[in-house]
Amino acid sequence: MILLDLELKDSPGELLKALTPISEMGINIHSVIHLREKKSDGKVPVRIVLEDLDEETLEKIVERLEESGIVVTKVNNKVRKMDIDVVVIGHVVDTDIRDTIDRLNKYGLVVDLDLTMPHPFKESSARMRIIVDSKNLEDLCREMEKLSKEKDLLFIKSF
Amino acid sequence: MKVILVGFGVIGRGVIKVIKKKREYLKKKYGMDIKVVAICDSSGAAIDERGLDLDLALEVKRKKGRICEYPGKGVTLPVTEVIRSVEGDVLIEVTPTNLEDGEPARTYIIEGFKSGKHVITANKGPLALYFQELMSYAKKYKRIFRYEASVGGAMPIINLARETLAGNEIIEIKGILNGTTNYILTKMEREKLDFDTVLKEAQELGIAETNPYQDISGLDTAAKIVILANSIMNMNVTIRDVKIEGISRITPEALTMANKGGYTIKLIGEVKRNKLEVGPKLIPLDDPLNVKGSLNVAKLYTDLAKEVIVVGRGAGSIETSSAILSDIINIYLQTSRG
Ligand SMILES: NC(=O)c1ccc[n+]([C@@H]2O[C@H](COP(=O)([O-])OP(=O)(O)OC[C@H]3O[C@@H](n4cnc5c(N)ncnc54)[C@H](OP(=O)(O)O)[C@@H]3O)[C@@H](O)[C@H]2O)c1
Repeated sequence: MILLDLELKDSPGELLKALTPISEMGINIHSVIHLREKKSDGKVPVRIVLEDLDEETLEKIVERLEESGIVVTKVNNKVRKMDIDVVVIGHVVDTDIRDTIDRLNKYGLVVDLDLTMPHPFKESSARMRIIVDSKNLEDLCREMEKLSKEKDLLFIKSF
Repeated sequence: MKVILVGFGVIGRGVIKVIKKKREYLKKKYGMDIKVVAICDSSGAAIDERGLDLDLALEVKRKKGRICEYPGKGVTLPVTEVIRSVEGDVLIEVTPTNLEDGEPARTYIIEGFKSGKHVITANKGPLALYFQELMSYAKKYKRIFRYEASVGGAMPIINLARETLAGNEIIEIKGILNGTTNYILTKMEREKLDFDTVLKEAQELGIAETNPYQDISGLDTAAKIVILANSIMNMNVTIRDVKIEGISRITPEALTMANKGGYTIKLIGEVKRNKLEVGPKLIPLDDPLNVKGSLNVAKLYTDLAKEVIVVGRGAGSIETSSAILSDIINIYLQTSRG
């Protein structure tokens, strides 16, 4: 059996969007389990149990799901994608926030950004949610460290 | 059991009060009779091989501030000389923490082993800087060395990991090991006050020290992480190996921002293979690490028992002394067997 853990948006049709490509490939779906209550950010974690598959087919399925914008968090209990949150303190806006995000996007994807309106002289803060491949996590952290030194920003991470 | 106490401040006095309070209990339960044969502070010592009068010692310290004024038995000998020359089973070392060179505690502890005493300390300095050296002295002189109170105050962690969880490999430890910073962050979050205001208030209340640098810079937590790494994870590291970030840049806005995302901000110390870190972290609001006020908490990840979590008071005279008492009892039980 193969276990796929997904994070779906809490809107109608999301589950179907995940299941359709799988059944189109002629693969048997044993069951769909809702893992937990809806998370605080509105995402719904779901586990899909499939028949046994070879590596190649499995990889193909995961790719197709990701192409259609679905977050695959775990494959057979192995972490694939992680959702991480960071709060950034410093002159977040004045130090070119576009550049900060672009550089983080080299290793992950900033999907959510929340900013407090900065007081011109005081430090402000921002919150970001980043989706990152677990294999890129270290690189992402290194980039944060660089940004932190260059722009005197403090990254407070959720991991 | 003959005890020599070095350091007669908040903790030293707490130890004496706890010994007084538990005297009957210890006799009944363990058949242990504790005699305090010497007490030292920075002025000198009071020495009585038949056991000092503990009420009198506390009174002399309270009224005169100097233990060497203890009637008839007070001396102004150097402390090392007292440790060397007074006969005793256990040295309890509770002088101030020094994270620069670990002194004078390091010398006192070594002197204790050399003169055949088991040693108990609550002092992070020598442990965070010279752990291997001190262990090798304990080994060489076949003495017991215990330091439960040095991390987390009254919260059990070192002996918990080494004795209660014996057989488990400790893979990772993560926690809040400094009560002052936890108090400050909790207050900033609840009352939306800025860091400086809350710090000042904490100092006025006596929760933060007049010189809070070691706490808010993360240095105190780093020292504790090093002690845990060396003593229960078999690592060989010092405080210089820890990546440290303090909490002075945290703002109430950042806390509100974190709250909106379902998190709080805590000063977390973390140790696992290849990671030795102290810094502010986002902790989910419903996580067991989200403890409030000046509480300490630690999460241990082990191979067999998986997660184990402890919460407790990280400071306080009587609270911390309870951890020292548990070390005394343990040494007594180990040495009186057979
Ligand atoms: N306070 C807590 O809640 C807590 C919790 C856990 C661990 N600890 C650790 O326990 C230790 C003691 O803390 P504390 O709060 O009791 O400190 P404290 O109140 O400052 O007391 C320190 C004591 O050490 C004495 N002393 C200073 N220099 C000395 C020297 N060169 N030789 C001999 N004695 C000397 C002082 O003498 P005088 O009285 O003459 O000044 C004082 O009696 C520290 O290492 C601390 O980190 C404390």
